[in-house]
Amino acid sequence: MAQNITNGVAVKADKVSFHFKKLRAIDELSLVVPAGISFGLLGPNGAGKTTLIRLITGLLKPKSGGIDVLGQPPSRKNARLIGYMPQLHSLYAELSVMQNVSFFAKIYGLKNSKQRQQRVEEVTKLVNLWGRRNDSVMNLSGGMKQRASLACAIVHNPPLLLLDEPTVGLDPELRVTFWDYFTSLTQEGTTLIISSHTMDDAAHCDRLGFMRQGKVIAQGTPTELKEATGQPEASLEEAFLHFIHREEGSDG
Amino acid sequence: MGSSTFTIAGRLMNQLIRDRRTLGLIIIVPLVVMSLIGLSFPDEGILDYIAPAMLAALALFFSFLLTGISFLRERSQGTMERLMASPVSRLDVVFGYLFGFFFFALAQTLIIVLFTIYVFDINFMGEIWQILVFQILVITGSVTLGIFTSTFARNEFQMVQFIPLIILPQMFLSGVLWPVEQMPDYLQWMSAAMPLTYAIDGLRDIMLYGKGLLDVGFELAVLAGFTVVTSVLAALTLRRGAAG
Ligand SMILES: Nc1ncnc2c1ncn2[C@@H]1O[C@H](COP(=O)(O)OP(=O)(O)OP(=O)(O)O)[C@@H](O)[C@H]1O
Ligand SMILES: [Mg+2]
Repeated sequence: MAQNITNGVAVKADKVSFHFKKLRAIDELSLVVPAGISFGLLGPNGAGKTTLIRLITGLLKPKSGGIDVLGQPPSRKNARLIGYMPQLHSLYAELSVMQNVSFFAKIYGLKNSKQRQQRVEEVTKLVNLWGRRNDSVMNLSGGMKQRASLACAIVHNPPLLLLDEPTVGLDPELRVTFWDYFTSLTQEGTTLIISSHTMDDAAHCDRLGFMRQGKVIAQGTPTELKEATGQPEASLEEAFLHFIHREEGSDG
Repeated sequence: MGSSTFTIAGRLMNQLIRDRRTLGLIIIVPLVVMSLIGLSFPDEGILDYIAPAMLAALALFFSFLLTGISFLRERSQGTMERLMASPVSRLDVVFGYLFGFFFFALAQTLIIVLFTIYVFDINFMGEIWQILVFQILVITGSVTLGIFTSTFARNEFQMVQFIPLIILPQMFLSGVLWPVEQMPDYLQWMSAAMPLTYAIDGLRDIMLYGKGLLDVGFELAVLAGFTVVTSVLAALTLRRGAAG
């Protein structure tokens, strides 16, 4: 239904710039993310992936340019449309897994307590933490914390999910499970924006944006990006490096 | 202020309940402190005079520090980032903290009051419920002051520096140990700007002179005004889009 009012566009950034004091973290970046797909943000450390995601959540305001999320600039009123998984676990360490998930479920307006409990149970099982549901988050392993954090981001079933490096620290089996789940979400019409450093994640995405120094230097489907290198056999990794080097060349 | 206020308050209470050691310290430390102070004054008359001031000062100290640190952790562990990206309003956060800590601070105050009155057997007039109602305002102001102050601290080291800056001067200048009237003019002016001064004045009026809550209406109003100002300031510093 969100697609109708927004002509199928989930996120639209128009010449967005953001700087921390003198440091230009996002530099006149323009981007259109169609609704109902998984969009991968790739780029070296410091490229601006996290900053871009925080701009989309509304945590940061662009210094110039504009961002629309499902047709409106991000604000507290449409915060429910977004699920946000920050790069760091960002959970209450003393609380149990269930208490954390349940807290965010309430904060995001799941009022009916029976439905909420059901949903909390559902996502806790989904991230494979049901057996550890009553453990304090501080006693979980790194990858488990990552999973608990994902559960908190998806609990309210948002049409747009912003996941900042969600697969870091996951074992290969869970990675596969996660991607199966992400794919099923996009099939239901959810839009996913996922930042990552791994080409394995990238290969799963419907579209990719390569970022460098606060700009998106290339975007397209994985196949398009590989073809653009001019070498039909190129891997995504090679495509990524191809675009990075091309940019470096044009920097002079 | 909506249901999120109570969601946040409930979460803070859960956090403290699951952190048994902190919970124990909240109760035991004030008792140890009061015992030491009580035993160090052999003269009962002095203790009667000091006790009301200590009630107010301890409430300020503990509520300020507990909220300040816990608010700071909310930011350093990244959960504030999540909250600010969510539909909760900044007033939900401030009031959530207020209610969340309120019961612990109130329980703490109750223990201190009863301990001081019955174990040290101080002479006091007035009624216990009036002391408690008065303390509620002291606590409220201290919690919001803690939240507001913590927004100026980037880490725990910085937060701890605010104790000598904000709490200690109040302990010395607001009449805990010697009457404000005996201080030089400029110190009296400073003292008039400190919330603890009014807290101590009011509590002494109740406990030493048996006055009622209506008689300390001025002190109550000043404390209430202070609470409103600090909570508004605290909420303003929590702006969405102002995250660093
Ligand atoms: N709070 C901040 N204050 C100052 N500078 C910041 C802040 N956050 C990010 N930066 C700077 O902005 C630039 C972009 O950072 P960002 O975190 O968006 O990169 P990233 O692509 O997410 O990197 P990574 O892959 O390491 O997560 C970096 O140069 C970083 O140092
Ligand atoms: Mg990042």
